[in-house]
Amino acid sequence: MTAPTNRLVVGIDLGTTNSLAAIRAGRGARVLRDRDGEALIPSVVCFLPDGSALVGRAAKALRLQYPDRTVFSVKRLIGRAGTEVDAESRLLPYRVVRGERDLARIRIGDAAGGHRDWSPEQVSALVLRKVRDTAAQALGQPVDAAVITVPAWFDDSQRQATRDAAQLAGIECLRIVNEPTAASLAYGIDGSKDGTVLVYDLGGGTFDVSILRIEQGVFRVLATAGDTHLGGDDFDHLLGERILAAAGSASGDPHVMQAVRAAAEGLKIQLSQQDRATLRLELRGSGATEFAVTRAEFEAMIAPMIERTLDCCRRAMRDCGLEPTDIDDVVLVGGSTRIPLVRRRLAELAGRTPHTGVDPDLAVALGAAIQADVLAGNDKSLLLLDVIPLSLGIETFGGAMQKLILRNSTIPTSATEEFSTAVDGQTAVVLNVYQGERELVRDCRALGSFTLGGLPSLPAGLPRIAVTFLVDADGVLRVTAVEQRTGMESSIRIVPSFGLSRDDVRRMMLESIEHAHEDVAAREAIDLRNKAQAMVAGTRKALQLASLPPDQTFAVQKSARALEKLLAGAADAAALRAATDELGRLTATIADDVISAAVQRALSDEQRGGGLA
Amino acid sequence: MNRDGAPDPFTVFGIEHRLDLDERALERRYLQLSRDCHPDRNRGGGAADCAAVLARAAEINDSWRVLKDRWERARVLIELRAPGVLDDQKQLDPEFLAGALERAEMVANAESAELPALRQQLRADADAAWHGVRDAATAGDFATAARRLHESKYVRKAMADLEARAEAIA
Repeated sequence: MTAPTNRLVVGIDLGTTNSLAAIRAGRGARVLRDRDGEALIPSVVCFLPDGSALVGRAAKALRLQYPDRTVFSVKRLIGRAGTEVDAESRLLPYRVVRGERDLARIRIGDAAGGHRDWSPEQVSALVLRKVRDTAAQALGQPVDAAVITVPAWFDDSQRQATRDAAQLAGIECLRIVNEPTAASLAYGIDGSKDGTVLVYDLGGGTFDVSILRIEQGVFRVLATAGDTHLGGDDFDHLLGERILAAAGSASGDPHVMQAVRAAAEGLKIQLSQQDRATLRLELRGSGATEFAVTRAEFEAMIAPMIERTLDCCRRAMRDCGLEPTDIDDVVLVGGSTRIPLVRRRLAELAGRTPHTGVDPDLAVALGAAIQADVLAGNDKSLLLLDVIPLSLGIETFGGAMQKLILRNSTIPTSATEEFSTAVDGQTAVVLNVYQGERELVRDCRALGSFTLGGLPSLPAGLPRIAVTFLVDADGVLRVTAVEQRTGMESSIRIVPSFGLSRDDVRRMMLESIEHAHEDVAAREAIDLRNKAQAMVAGTRKALQLASLPPDQTFAVQKSARALEKLLAGAADAAALRAATDELGRLTATIADDVISAAVQRALSDEQRGGGLA
Repeated sequence: MNRDGAPDPFTVFGIEHRLDLDERALERRYLQLSRDCHPDRNRGGGAADCAAVLARAAEINDSWRVLKDRWERARVLIELRAPGVLDDQKQLDPEFLAGALERAEMVANAESAELPALRQQLRADADAAWHGVRDAATAGDFATAARRLHESKYVRKAMADLEARAEAIA
């Protein structure tokens, strides 16, 4: 059994609009507040012209002053291709461009007239850092690990991108947990709510529905469904278009876009309380405008989107074979569930008034904190059984998607199927792994690809290739292929190839404004020392083996000694790196390749032993 | 299950190989196994331990997926007890097929007002089919159990079609 670690592990709700942290406290959990008593940190980053960045409320306050430098709703871009977010990015006052491999990048101008591109992961990392620092301050001690929530409907790329953001922020991500699942923990933690609940989570950018059964401390997800592009932002946008039309203003100006967005959000919030809301807006270039909207008008605008959420609810119920009458309670999560139309339509669907006992803004973080405590080994009374939201499969002949693991399977889970070759004498097969519900792989998300070689040369259809999918409790997929006759085996752990590469993450950790961050620096220093030590040892060994001209031997020895001396002391990273590079240059240029071969060997041994990420 | 030599779901759950079992007790068994074996409750072991815990947890979840669905449970049990019999018994009674066809047409043309009664009828049919499968299997007559299981697919298909029809009308 797991031993309690007494580590401080927090739960973080990394939201489209707001983010926050919570920690386990007694039977429940409590949110962590800043000095002003605020728990919600706007997920907003403002990149100032001087190169610094503000995060949270300070950044949000500057959105009208720096409309094209204030980045919000980045969660709608994370882990997605530029082509996928084109429609989205046209509505944003800041610039989104397509970077390498078609990844979405946020382009911020600099003082010199140039620009710098930021990945959504980097922006999220800044938000996470702010949340972590706020939490550490509230707790009076550092926080280095967290459970972070994502929409249940996030695919593997979006989940991996969120993990990458945590890594960039120097936070160990113990688990990615689905938001509605986390919310159910906050709801059911008191032990009196055993039964079947439907969690309806309509946030700023995403919609999720999950149906869970809570029974004696086991929280079991039965089905989940959702839409990663449906939320309060869309309602704001619809209202914003009305405002722009009324003002007769052009939509391209970043200042106008930020102002209209802010105004629309204000109107929307008013309309949850009153039947009519008015606004006096002064837009650059078009003077003052009076704008009024009634609740009925607003409801007519958003009704089609609310119906889409109800369709998701019906699908989730169908997926687990339940009727509305089987649902014991409906739990509301996310700020957009304050909209009266949402509550009304949901009550009609479920035949009962939704439960409003948990704060829709806080429930996810509170639940994440509870799961964090469970994973830290402190609470043995609870267990969360979650599902994978999307089916996993491989490409078969003709581009068909053959599903091995169906959506809503409880994890961990595994499945094995047998495949064969399509062509006579084929000695290798390429396995392309996909995620999605569609029948053709071109409509699904590519997760990765690997080759099983060394097959016996046989007529098509004779080799028997068993492909096994294994999904662990983190939702991470490992695929193994074994040829049954020869026992040839090949496998990969799927880290989606779509988002940042491992090198990208590493490079960003180094080059980003997080450069001075202690965790990263410490890790780098360790790596550097290991490399230097391996190089000195390798060089010494090589010098014994090689027969070099005396002057070269001397130069190499001198350089190796210098590096050794640095290693003995508390040299800073820059000096160590310079000396290592110097020795590397000397050994690399030496005619006798014995040395460099030996050094290479020593280095690769070191890297294997060190288990680099 | 999938891989040759892997234990069957009944064995994984440590229960008797039979169809007339208490579904509530089965669910409680699943929760207990999950509590005991889930990786979240068994963190911090070495790599080999982790792999074993993971494999066991996956086995439990995958077995539960079979056992909780009475038709899947029957299919696996019949295949275990009488390998090949499901393939051998595909020939169904023409009278049964004529009835199934009639039912399918009723579903396809159902009006809104007829849905509740039809739904109730199909549920009763499904339960009757289930009793046929269960009783034959319990009596050790796996050929009959296999035929009844094949027949039940027509009822289950009709139920799914009825829900699709209900949605189309709405």
